[in-house]
Amino acid sequence: MRPEQDYFEETRLGKPYDVRLLRRLYPFTRPHRRMLGWSIGLVILITLLDVALPYLTKEAIDRYIVPLAEPAAGQRTLSVDLSDPLDAAIVQDRFPEARIEGSVARIPYDALARLDPEELAHLRRGDAQGLALVTGLFLILVVLDFLLNFGQSVVMEITGQRIMHDLRLRLYGHIQGLALEFFTRNPVGRLVTRATSDVQNMYELFTSFISFVFKDLVLLGGITAVMLALNWKLALVAFAVLPAVALASIRFSRRARAIFRTLRVQVAEINTRFAETIGGMRVIQLFRQEAANQRRFERLNHANYLSGMEQIRVLALFMPLIEALALAAVALIVWYGGGRVLDESLSLGALVAFISYIRMFFRPLRDLAEKYNILQNAMASAERIFLVLDTTTALPQPPTPSGGSAAALASIEELRFEAVDFAYLPGEPVLRGVSFRLRRGETMAVVGPTGAGKTSLINLIPRLYDPTAGRVLINAQDLRAMPSALFRERMALVMQDPFLFSGTLRENIFEGLPDPSPARTLDIIAAADLEHLVTRLPQGLDTPLGEGGGALSSGERQLIAIARAFARDPQLILLDEATSFIDSETERRIQQALERLMRHRTALVVAHRLSTVRSADRILVMNRGRIIESGTHSELMAGRGFYYRLHQLQPAAGPEPAQ
Amino acid sequence: MSPLSIIKPYFAENRFKICIGLLSLIVVDGLQLVVPRIIKWAVDDLTAMSVSAGALGLYAGAVAGIAVLIGVFRYVWRLCLLGTSRRVEEGLRNRLFSHLQTLSTGYFDRTRTGDLMAHATNDIQQVRMAAGMGLVALNDAVVMGAAAIGFMAYINPTLTGLVLVPMPLIAVSARFFSRRMHRRYQTVQASFADLTEAIRERLAGIRLIKAHNRQTLETARVRAASAAYLDENLQLVRITGAFFPMMLLLTNLSMALVLFFGGRLVIRFTITPGDFVAFISYLALLTWPMMALGWVTNLIQRGRASLDRVNAILETRPAIQDATDARSLEAPRGEIVFEGVAFAYPDSSTPALADIDLRVDAGSVLGIVGPPGSGKTTLLNLIPRLYDPMAGGIRVDGCDVRRLRIEQLRAAIACMPQESFLFAGTIRENITFGGPDVSEQRLVEAARAAALLDTVYGFAQGFDTVVGEKGVMLSGGQKQRVALARCLLADAPILLLDDPISQVDFETGEAIAQTLRRLAGRRTILIASHRISALAFADRIVVLERGRLTAAGSHSRLMDVSGYYARTYRLQEIEEGRDAA
Repeated sequence: MRPEQDYFEETRLGKPYDVRLLRRLYPFTRPHRRMLGWSIGLVILITLLDVALPYLTKEAIDRYIVPLAEPAAGQRTLSVDLSDPLDAAIVQDRFPEARIEGSVARIPYDALARLDPEELAHLRRGDAQGLALVTGLFLILVVLDFLLNFGQSVVMEITGQRIMHDLRLRLYGHIQGLALEFFTRNPVGRLVTRATSDVQNMYELFTSFISFVFKDLVLLGGITAVMLALNWKLALVAFAVLPAVALASIRFSRRARAIFRTLRVQVAEINTRFAETIGGMRVIQLFRQEAANQRRFERLNHANYLSGMEQIRVLALFMPLIEALALAAVALIVWYGGGRVLDESLSLGALVAFISYIRMFFRPLRDLAEKYNILQNAMASAERIFLVLDTTTALPQPPTPSGGSAAALASIEELRFEAVDFAYLPGEPVLRGVSFRLRRGETMAVVGPTGAGKTSLINLIPRLYDPTAGRVLINAQDLRAMPSALFRERMALVMQDPFLFSGTLRENIFEGLPDPSPARTLDIIAAADLEHLVTRLPQGLDTPLGEGGGALSSGERQLIAIARAFARDPQLILLDEATSFIDSETERRIQQALERLMRHRTALVVAHRLSTVRSADRILVMNRGRIIESGTHSELMAGRGFYYRLHQLQPAAGPEPAQ
Repeated sequence: MSPLSIIKPYFAENRFKICIGLLSLIVVDGLQLVVPRIIKWAVDDLTAMSVSAGALGLYAGAVAGIAVLIGVFRYVWRLCLLGTSRRVEEGLRNRLFSHLQTLSTGYFDRTRTGDLMAHATNDIQQVRMAAGMGLVALNDAVVMGAAAIGFMAYINPTLTGLVLVPMPLIAVSARFFSRRMHRRYQTVQASFADLTEAIRERLAGIRLIKAHNRQTLETARVRAASAAYLDENLQLVRITGAFFPMMLLLTNLSMALVLFFGGRLVIRFTITPGDFVAFISYLALLTWPMMALGWVTNLIQRGRASLDRVNAILETRPAIQDATDARSLEAPRGEIVFEGVAFAYPDSSTPALADIDLRVDAGSVLGIVGPPGSGKTTLLNLIPRLYDPMAGGIRVDGCDVRRLRIEQLRAAIACMPQESFLFAGTIRENITFGGPDVSEQRLVEAARAAALLDTVYGFAQGFDTVVGEKGVMLSGGQKQRVALARCLLADAPILLLDDPISQVDFETGEAIAQTLRRLAGRRTILIASHRISALAFADRIVVLERGRLTAAGSHSRLMDVSGYYARTYRLQEIEEGRDAA
């Protein structure tokens, strides 16, 4: 079963930047700083490579493809070394007008068109070789770029996922440690979202932050530097469009923020309405609210459509604007750069490289909107996560267990309640002045009507809650004075609705305990009357139980819970007897298994069936949070009070009658 | 019905916009292809070193002009094409929502809310993406790709042929990668679901974990699930991490081919330097359509799969709907008769109800008692046709409910389910459903009758108090009374109350019983309750045990003939302290 998604909480939004949150995130990255360093190093290396590639093209053009203009000559000339006889012959034969300076002939570039291809190929074989060399270098860089990019993705993923793994476990551990009271206030679905989806959003924050700071900024910086180095004047001219870009971005991000926020809230509202409608479908249909509900939904949906259109309009304005500005920068380069080529202060290759660079420069600017959105989303998640981490409702544990108290718990000799009051909510007490004593080996039954406080009483014994007044003592020591683990490991709780984890039957019974011998395993299975089930299941003990134990009957689930208690071999059994309706045959088997479980052990049983009660050493009768009677069965019967009257109503046979 | 026919109307409705959008897209593509030509001319002039500043200005001006035009047409196509996809999204979502509201209870019993939510969110989004960006990318790939290749071939066919060698690889590998990515992504999602379930399970079982000291163990379990998720992500990144660099590599390989072969052609004066530079630009323009081609086929496939899933829901016919010759129910009196009714839930071998014969006269009060799971709720649910019986029939005013118009049948019934469901609005909205025609006086009356009025006046905002998601701000008893007030306001001749006072205290329960007693005679009331004292005023009480009626009659008669009834009554007498002893 998928957990109920938390469609209700996503309407809150974080600030896009919150330095405080980033600072709190920092400690989680510390253990992984080496990987992080690698990742960042690789990003920078890749960016440098990216910047280098257009430069190689420039070099290819200037050195080999199109000869440079001769200083002050106003024309391009190809220099030919005349030491090669064939070259010398071609020059002599075809270019009588060529200027010869020593052993080098300078041939006007446009005159080269006169040659036939073979002659040209021979004459410019050096250029062709150089070109092959540059291409080779280009190929090497390209393959290197591929490898580095791949490596960087992997390293980044490893780093990011490990950090999130840590964060998730920290969060889970924190939530698990919180007092039970926290769970009554916070639905499980919401807490699950914190540890799953919200952490996932944080991952987005992490990766987009790294890629923004290290990739985009380094790229922009690198391009700027190369452009300035190639020709600072042309660079400045090309950058003339930047103020317009900045203005557009600022204006846009203001509008985009509003629209993204509205959209997110609206989508959350739509999802909420969907989830709510599905949940309340019966009520909607019974009260014939379909049409009204549809109208309300369509209003929401249409508002979302309008916002969607608004978003399209904003993006449709921004993105083409940025691209148009990029082309405008190209136009500036053609105009001003072209002039510089003519006055020979810029090479043709550099001009081409400038065009490539300016296009590269604008690429990260286009995705600005999306990055902004991710960041905002992630910040909201970060805020929610830290809100949980800041919650401290764990019941305080004593500093360090002294050796004495550990020794004192070799066995539970006595459990005592001293004038215990307890309330889940202030002003609504569920236990009032409860005092009793349970000695080792005794069985005590607690009876009383629904809402008398029986389950609450059981909750106090493993210290799931602390009493609001009075004390709970084991071996005369307050539970609050010893580490909970100490007494909890001597207890077993068998609950009304047994909770099964997904996992095999064996894991559900034995997990967390030292591996039992096969003989002991069989003993426990037999004692819990689970033999039928084990033989029925296809893989016996190793059959995975469906999520929540769906395929098992409620009787079988209770038997598994009993087996789990057997496996723990506890000294104190806390049993919250099931009230649900089970057929009498199963009921009898459960009763017998329970009797075997409680034999020779201390037990406190919340009993609904008076047959269970009869054999108890002592019976507490509770009503409305108080103990109103106590004693053995015969004492209470003789007293002719509440218990006596309860007992009169139930036939001695025990479970609910089957007529 | 073909799944595509679901979205056809939206395309038809916007065909004008779509045409304009596609036209603009083609214009943009064309203009983009002109820019490299201009740059070619500029470069060739600059190579020859024979160009005036005026000519350069002309080139620059042309590029700038084209920039403006591209911007305008881009704006137009984005608005037209992406706008249409938003329209598809809205329409599809409305249809899904309205269709879900027609489906019967049985459907929601067997369909998980999470799955339906996934259809409502992810699938609709996928369809939108396919209908918007998918369409654009497809068009781009075809038009831009073909045109760019044409321009390149015009410069030099041989070079074009050489450069295009890696291009099909881009499309093929984009397709290959995005398929595997999609599959991997699904395993990542599955692993994320496992992680979520692992955490959910532990937080749901927190009491046991704490009591049995299993914190370390369970943390280890969560760690294992989290580590598995981490591993799956690392598997995924091996594909995603290779994908984009791979695309880049293939593009760069083409670039290397241009550099080498194109450069040689320039050296040998076969093409001009301007052609060479233009070639590089065309290559850059071609890369995106090629990548898009691979990407878009997956996007469209996924959109199609999502559309199929949404369609499957839309094709689900409600199990319970009006008969073709459904009759109307005029001025209902409220007589209810069960005749040999049997019912079993799917996946259950034992019937929930069997051989139910029962007659409830108009204006009478019927109490229903029985142990949990004996079929009380099922019995009540059959009357407004939340389910239909498997055998036998139920008649209201002498007419089988399956022959009545559902709308009118349900209008004649006010029903209070066992679990009071509140919507995340105000108390007023929850009682009146926002009905504008409900007077304040009627609202107050209903709240008073449900013993809710004092509680409401105790809140600072009164009836306008927001109850929160599923009514979290209210206690169980308060929620129950809001649901009861909702019922009483409906003013229907038949009142079905499923355990209406299980969560209110004794005195409030008495007050509610008073209200119901006053209504007796004017309305037919069926009331299931665990608290027998709440049924004291019933004209007749029936005992349900394991889906069968085991006894019926007045209170005093049942005390004699029903062991269950008598025992339960005495037990509650003691618990409630009503026995004088």
